Amino acid sequence: MSLLTLDHVGRSYDMGHVVVPALRDVSMSVERGEMVAILGPSGSGKTTMMSIIGCLDRPTSGRYELDGQDVGSLGDRALASIRSRTIGFVFQSYNLLPGTSALDNVATPLLYQGVGRRERVARAAAALERLGLGERLRHEPTELSGGEQQRVALARALVTNPALVLADEPTGNLPRHQGEEVLRLFRELHEAGNTILLITHNPEVAAAAERRIHLLDGVVAREERAA
Amino acid sequence: MKTLELVRLALSRLRRSRVRAALTMLGVIIGVASVVGLVSVGRGTTARITEQLSSLGTNLLTISPTGRTADSTLTLDDATAIAALQGLAAVAPEIETAGTVATSATNTTSTSIVGTSAQYAHVRAYDVWQGTFLSDVEADHSLRSVVLGASVASNLGLGAEAVGSDVLINGLPFEIVGILQPKGGAGFNNPDDEVLVPLSTVTQYFVGGSGVRAIGVSVADGVDMQSMKDAIAELLRVRHGIGASDTDDFQIFDQTQLLQAATTISGTLSLLLGGIASIALVVGGIGIMNIMLVSVRERTREIGIRKALGARGRDILSQFLIEAVTLSLVGGAIGIGAGLIVSALIGRLAGWGFIFDPATVAVATLFSLAVGVVFGVWPARQAARLDPVAALRYE
Repeated sequence: MSLLTLDHVGRSYDMGHVVVPALRDVSMSVERGEMVAILGPSGSGKTTMMSIIGCLDRPTSGRYELDGQDVGSLGDRALASIRSRTIGFVFQSYNLLPGTSALDNVATPLLYQGVGRRERVARAAAALERLGLGERLRHEPTELSGGEQQRVALARALVTNPALVLADEPTGNLPRHQGEEVLRLFRELHEAGNTILLITHNPEVAAAAERRIHLLDGVVAREERAA
Repeated sequence: MKTLELVRLALSRLRRSRVRAALTMLGVIIGVASVVGLVSVGRGTTARITEQLSSLGTNLLTISPTGRTADSTLTLDDATAIAALQGLAAVAPEIETAGTVATSATNTTSTSIVGTSAQYAHVRAYDVWQGTFLSDVEADHSLRSVVLGASVASNLGLGAEAVGSDVLINGLPFEIVGILQPKGGAGFNNPDDEVLVPLSTVTQYFVGGSGVRAIGVSVADGVDMQSMKDAIAELLRVRHGIGASDTDDFQIFDQTQLLQAATTISGTLSLLLGGIASIALVVGGIGIMNIMLVSVRERTREIGIRKALGARGRDILSQFLIEAVTLSLVGGAIGIGAGLIVSALIGRLAGWGFIFDPATVAVATLFSLAVGVVFGVWPARQAARLDPVAALRYE
């Protein structure tokens, strides 16, 4: 069974007198252990799609199933619980909590799972060490380079062992070599068995994935598979 | 357990913006400090009034005629009859007349001349400073002995050495047997501005008739005041021939009644002061609400991130609510400290000392908690209801 399935999913925004469709009709699925890229120019509906897949938002039409659950019918609390247990987010602008140490940033998702402090700290430290940040546990985001911040964000996404890692332009704010480093980390995670969904406008980044879905004007334009 | 984590989070958050936190708390600090300070001033006043009134004698009943004293319906015979009742420690009838006391032609003072018995000192709780009080012997023989009130003695410039010498009362020489300890006291009847002479001496030299200004009665320990009052009233009604439906021509005044009335008044006053001060507390609460709303605004993105990381609305609500409550509780604690210091200072200046009242501290703590919850809940709800997608996009 697929990890996630979008079946004619649409999302439109009611702006009062006009209804703006951001996502028109998207059908796709992602298998467990896959690394998939969603590729498209800005305004193609990528971010909306990520919000829906990430359970931050609900589709206005169609059906989205994650881990066998129909997400569209769930309430806010249930969505929060899915985000907490099933999804790890990595954002373009890192989105680390300001004024909070790397360790506490990474431990935060565990706080919302109700994990005790001792275990939280241990797991967060382990996740950071795994990403080569063992020396940076007490550093706050402003004391870290972009690449380091994104690795902290990655550690934070992975600390809960989510079924799906959802990355929105993870290299968008990084210099080339740091971007490549982050992509290499995604590849490693993929090889370790994690399911990864990359959302990007950059074909070079998308090339890291084994399958690429091209999004254009809120519909899937084409799909291609790496050789 | 999670609450503890959120408290930790709130504290570290407040530590990072100390100036803002301090200014926000200032409102609550001032509010709580004024409540604590004013309530304790109220309590100090109450304690002071109670102390003064009980120095007048708490087991004292004063029977006085209604209407004008000139044709007093209360007589010496009434006093004798009352003295025969069981359960009384002392009975002291008082006759009063105005007069002048002089040591020479030029050194004179006008005062009240009170004729009474040896028991007067006990009934009215007077202490003798020099010499002795009037004795039964002096009363029995209508001797021209006098005990001077403290004010009278000082008006005439008489000190300890004056005991044994003579003064002229309305022109007649009297021997000073004692000088009273000052009682202090306010109002129309200054208890220190009178001279005491044996009752029979007064009737013999100054006033005719047997009407008295008042009969002071000291109730024996362990005897119920109210039943004693009723017994005296019944006795006087019979003696004066007052029917069941007629009004009394006398009144029995109970010191404890006055005490209760005064306590009630000053209690109400404390409550009023506390009420006014709590307006400051409400204003402080509004300050907290204002800052929390600003904070929710500023931290919209943080809220979005936390929601993406799995925070439920409830988690966000608790986080902001706990922050508001922490502000108000820390402010409250500082305010209690400041209020106690202020009340200790006032107590020292006013002379009733420092009264520590745990109930006030408990109430002040509860109040600041309530302020945090009441004024924190709305901003916290705003935070909890933010749409995660919009919050994440917020710059």
